[in-house]
Amino acid sequence: MPLPRLLNRIGVYGFLGAMALLSVFPFIWMIVGTTNSTGDIILGHLGLGHAFLDNTQKFFTQANAPLIFWNSAKISLLGTALTLAVSSVAGYGFEIFRSPGRDWLYAGLLLTIMIPFAVLMIPLFMIMGRLGLINTHIAIILPTVASGFVIFYFRQATKAFPSELRDAARVDGLKEWQIFLYIYIPTMRSTYAAAFVIVFMATWNNYLWPLIVLQTNEMKTITLVISSLASAYYPDYGVVMVGALVATLPTLIVFFAMQRQFVQGMLGAIK
Amino acid sequence: MLCFKRASWKPALAATVFAATLLTAAIAEAKTITVWCWDPNFNVAIMKEAGARYTKAHPDVTISVVDFSKSDVEQKLQAGLTSGVAESLPDIVLIEDYGAQKYLQSFPGAFMPLSGIVDYKGFAPYKVELMTLDGKVYGMPFDTGVTGLFYRKDYLEAAGYKPADMQHLTWDKYIEIGKAVEAKTGKKMIGFDFSDGALTRVMIQSAGKWYFTKDGKLDIENNPALRAALDVQQKIMQANIYKPATGWNDWVSKFTSGDVATIVTGVWITGTIKAQKDQAGKWGVTEIPTLNVPGAVAASNLGGSSWYVINSSKVKAEAADFLNTIYAKDVDFYQAILQDRGAVGSLLAARSGKAYDAPDAFFGGDKIWQSFSNWLSQVPSVNYGIFTNEVDAAVAVQLPKLAKGSVDDAIKAIAAQAKTQIQ
Repeated sequence: MPLPRLLNRIGVYGFLGAMALLSVFPFIWMIVGTTNSTGDIILGHLGLGHAFLDNTQKFFTQANAPLIFWNSAKISLLGTALTLAVSSVAGYGFEIFRSPGRDWLYAGLLLTIMIPFAVLMIPLFMIMGRLGLINTHIAIILPTVASGFVIFYFRQATKAFPSELRDAARVDGLKEWQIFLYIYIPTMRSTYAAAFVIVFMATWNNYLWPLIVLQTNEMKTITLVISSLASAYYPDYGVVMVGALVATLPTLIVFFAMQRQFVQGMLGAIK
Repeated sequence: MLCFKRASWKPALAATVFAATLLTAAIAEAKTITVWCWDPNFNVAIMKEAGARYTKAHPDVTISVVDFSKSDVEQKLQAGLTSGVAESLPDIVLIEDYGAQKYLQSFPGAFMPLSGIVDYKGFAPYKVELMTLDGKVYGMPFDTGVTGLFYRKDYLEAAGYKPADMQHLTWDKYIEIGKAVEAKTGKKMIGFDFSDGALTRVMIQSAGKWYFTKDGKLDIENNPALRAALDVQQKIMQANIYKPATGWNDWVSKFTSGDVATIVTGVWITGTIKAQKDQAGKWGVTEIPTLNVPGAVAASNLGGSSWYVINSSKVKAEAADFLNTIYAKDVDFYQAILQDRGAVGSLLAARSGKAYDAPDAFFGGDKIWQSFSNWLSQVPSVNYGIFTNEVDAAVAVQLPKLAKGSVDDAIKAIAAQAKTQIQ
């Protein structure tokens, strides 16, 4: 390899390596933090310590870990499933069926993505109050089910869904809902997978709305519990790190399990 | 078969009705008071202790403490009060003292006045003042941040100062001692975090002043206490007797690692100091230095929070009685929370208890809690207003510039920034 190219390579890899380290560092810091005592964490100790068992034990005594984990899992899985079910039908419908007000309606839907949640929070909270849904997990799931972004995502993906497939199915006598169920869903599997990863992560990490709606310790999600642990006048950072690790694991697992489909889905299900 | 069914039907129904009556009776009797607060090791634990004590005497009332972070409590409270969804609010909520007037003034009628129920004469006056609006007192005073000057006896001894020399200091004398300490021991006098207006707040309250006048108007440009406070901090910088700190944890590490000779802060730091077991016997505590302005005393406050009863609560009478019974009368409770959690409450009578009277071995057998209790009763009352955090941020911006710039410019800049922030 000629010298200029070699130098170029070194420069590129050096830069990429530094950037990679920069983005992975918080994660490493979290892992290292779970093994260190709070004192060591404050001093910026970067090596592995011996406090992992101690921190873990404290985390599990201070927080009802199985319950809050279950709360988060229930909300995320149910919420994601419902969101995918409703929003994918909507996205499909918007693309496939023509109707007079379609584009206006769709434009309106896209506008909803731009409204910050903080603006919607209080009215939504009042609605939940009237419905008697304060301090329920349904109140967290419901508002996200018809998601403007996911509908948009599915409509874009549907553009690549070949009309020949649909026509052939119609000729074979399938009804519209059957086409969706038996032709569309299997074809778009990777689109669904990508949407699953996105929606699951968003629901799992959701903080503001669950905070407003949930009222008791028994109903809390894991994000709220970590926030509470970290809020002490003298936070036990080792315990907080264990909490953060426990909270990160499911999103990691979901992502790595579906990584291939995710990338495929982002690129378009059909090539 | 049919006959059997018919025969067994009536007693079964009777039993059910009986059981149901019992159950509703039990539900009507049992009452739950819900409390929101932050910090599982401090406020939450203390409130649980208070709840256990009350339930012992009133078995029909249980206290349910829900913990959120401080900003989360504020966010939820704000959402609940703004939306008017009554069932979304707790019965009792903890509010930081600096923010009390903001809530009382922004949400009139939202909190239950406790004057008439609670005997406020028993509490530190400054604590009562900050929760008073239009002649009514709203909260139950809780923990205090009464300040002290903590100092390393060994460092000061080496510089030629005995504990007796550390009493009744002025800030000028403090700086003079600081120079001597550095010359003799090489240690800095104080850890200083420029992004934190804490020291400024401690100083101005000791002179009975705040960023606002008693009637809530911004008081920056002609505030002698603020000028004096910035003056002192400028002198500390120019004498170079401080160790710079970035953020809270770093600031704490300055004294836990033995890098600085003194700390000027709230009483709640005591637990952190005592956690350094190898420094036992090396620390002393005395009153804070006085500011060179008329009316300044050697007592001030930093932080602290108080309990408030939500007016729309269905159990507000019980909630008020609970707070009154434990926090306004139970001296023994205050001994327990001091011992277990290092919490100093604002009830002055608490000092007559055992824990407050005990000598502290860590501080060389001094009765430090009696001292803090003395200073507590002397903390001047000020009006924290509704924009303390905004002005505090403006002060923090100017602090680092003091090393080279003038106090006049800093005050002008603080006033300008505060005005734009508040309007």
